[in-house]
Amino acid sequence: MAATLPCSSEVVVVDDGSTDATVQVAAERGVRVVCLCRNLGIGGAVQTGLRLAYREGFDCAVQVDGDGQHPPSEIHRLVARLSQPDLPDIVVGSRRLEQRGYQSTPARRLGQNWLRLWLRAVCGLRVTDPTSGFRLYGARALALFQRVYPYDFPEPESLAVARARGLRLVDQPVEMRPRQGGRSSIAGLQPLYYMIKVTLAVALAYARNRGRKVAVSLDGLRPSLAAVGRAGGGSADRD
Amino acid sequence: MQIEIDRYWPFAVLCAAILLVVLRLLLRERIALQGSISFVSVLVMFLLAALLPDLTARLAHAMGFKVLSNFLFCLAIIALALLHLRALVTLSRLETRTVHLTQDLALLEEKLDRAKKTR
Repeated sequence: MAATLPCSSEVVVVDDGSTDATVQVAAERGVRVVCLCRNLGIGGAVQTGLRLAYREGFDCAVQVDGDGQHPPSEIHRLVARLSQPDLPDIVVGSRRLEQRGYQSTPARRLGQNWLRLWLRAVCGLRVTDPTSGFRLYGARALALFQRVYPYDFPEPESLAVARARGLRLVDQPVEMRPRQGGRSSIAGLQPLYYMIKVTLAVALAYARNRGRKVAVSLDGLRPSLAAVGRAGGGSADRD
Repeated sequence: MQIEIDRYWPFAVLCAAILLVVLRLLLRERIALQGSISFVSVLVMFLLAALLPDLTARLAHAMGFKVLSNFLFCLAIIALALLHLRALVTLSRLETRTVHLTQDLALLEEKLDRAKKTR
């Protein structure tokens, strides 16, 4: 993964209680591994990586899920988007813009469409792939999310938080793969709960954060990038 | 219509018993004082309401209750709901704190490991 990354960058694997050989494999490859002593779930794990990037002065971080859905070879497209004139704070990798690569199952697409419309109605936000976990966070986003990041099913909610705080969000077409290992955390009767919870959470997050600005000093940043992979409960990390 | 005033001493005994349990827990430091003051004051209020049924009845009547026990039930439900909400607020704050502490611990450990390796 490190080989495919542009500019000076570091790979960080957040181990959120994985039971496979993730930690060993990652350590052998010489990437940084942060082990959480208690399982925090996706939001807490992602925030760990973002906190690391923020504290060490990285000027952006890329979140890469631990199930192999996000090919590291696509990271450069997110990074390239960051330096375009509109200076986005968050670049969301979208499966839907080019309709290439893995497109998820029909039921999930239905849910994604609902969340897309809901985000647009509640926050006036236009993103094509709100549940995408393949994202790039700029310095302002890092400053915000190292303090405030939703804990379960965080993707759509974090977009609402960012939007409410006045961050600029953009889409970038990327190609994804089907999950390469592990099971989804959203299975069985969970989809219904997921939809209800996320729908409420998005509205609440927007209402709660509206009008609050991000106070952040942008001095002393390193012109570099932290790629944050997450290896959660039992999912294989193949980066 | 006159409110029926019955004897409410069993209710008072119950309140006193719970109060004793809370005091015991406080003495053994199983619960902290700052969180349980509201709990204790609610219990004392109910104890007084049960010991002074005439006063309670007048209050209940003024608020439109026909039966005194209904008034007490209503008060108890409201009090429990409020106490529970308070506990929920504390719990949520603790949850966020635990997550942040776990994250900080993990980040520190990683830093320490790297420092050891480079030495």
